[in-house]
Amino acid sequence: MDYSNLRRQAASLKKGLFDQGHLDEQFRQVEDLQDEASPNFVEEVVVVFFKDSGRLITNLEQALEKYPRDFNRWDAYMQQLKGSCSSIGASRMKNECMSFRDSCGQRNVEGCMGSFQKLKREHAVLRQKLESYFQLLRQAGPAGAATRPVM
Amino acid sequence: MGMMEENQRERMEDATVDQFPEGLRVLAVDDDCVCLKVLEALLRRCIYHPTMAMDAKTALKMLRTMKVKFDLVITDVRMPDMDGFKIRELIGLEMDMPVIMLSVDCYKKVVLNGINHGACDYLVKPVYTNDIKNIWQHVESRRRSQAISHMSRDNANDERVHPGSLAMSKDSKNKRNDEYDSNKNTESTHSSTTQKIQGWHGQLSFKTSF
Repeated sequence: MDYSNLRRQAASLKKGLFDQGHLDEQFRQVEDLQDEASPNFVEEVVVVFFKDSGRLITNLEQALEKYPRDFNRWDAYMQQLKGSCSSIGASRMKNECMSFRDSCGQRNVEGCMGSFQKLKREHAVLRQKLESYFQLLRQAGPAGAATRPVM
Repeated sequence: MGMMEENQRERMEDATVDQFPEGLRVLAVDDDCVCLKVLEALLRRCIYHPTMAMDAKTALKMLRTMKVKFDLVITDVRMPDMDGFKIRELIGLEMDMPVIMLSVDCYKKVVLNGINHGACDYLVKPVYTNDIKNIWQHVESRRRSQAISHMSRDNANDERVHPGSLAMSKDSKNKRNDEYDSNKNTESTHSSTTQKIQGWHGQLSFKTSF
């Protein structure tokens, strides 16, 4: 198996995520925190992020239906989600959170719904790409090599 | 009385400084588990000793019952069971400890609210390594202003002593926090207010330029 090729693919995938604005500088800061004491830190944070954001998105979807025009409630969910997105560097998702909150401020239901749909799409894309990225890293080499962040 | 206590106090302060800033005991409170995980790693990277809590009740229980005394609290402004400003008030009433507010928002109104509630700094998410590296300064600043206040009251020959405090220095040391508030030592109050203003102002200007 060509480990260096797999590692190149992983690096290229990650570069794409930065170039297309899915990830920002904060993700690099999270990578910096990975070390020998926490060799899987980045993947752990990403797993926690998708679990948490998935839950928030589901709750918000229910709230959009159950509590129409309850902008304060909707904004509260989105504020939480924005916090998680910014902590991990999920830049496009964070931007949609901000659009949604702006629409809440303007009491614009259509704006909120539009932003929410975009947010769900960005969430799905980022999840799929990061899952592929970590899979490539795992395949890329023996345990030690797979846990080093690929630049 | 006098020289012996002075030397002992200096030795204790030197010992404290030697351990700074490594080993700072920080309690971090946030219901956002992603942020909490990243924050914990940042605190460990600075060789601080973090303890994490996901809600206000747990945090307050830890502060009240844990044998280890914390040096500083970082708390999100918004949590399901209690807001961060209320936590800051309770900490201020029950124990003397610097509290840093943490939030997604950087609206001036919210920041000022934090400062008015006595927060010593205000961090906007995402938190950066440099934000965390500098938090020990809030603890150090507080310890120094308290040390100055104690030395002023205890030393009858010190010219900095406010005339009113001389009478109070006879009281037991247990009442010193109450005395500190009622004395309103202008030097300490001014420096801590300045610290607060510099704290959030510096933070905001950093975020704006970024």
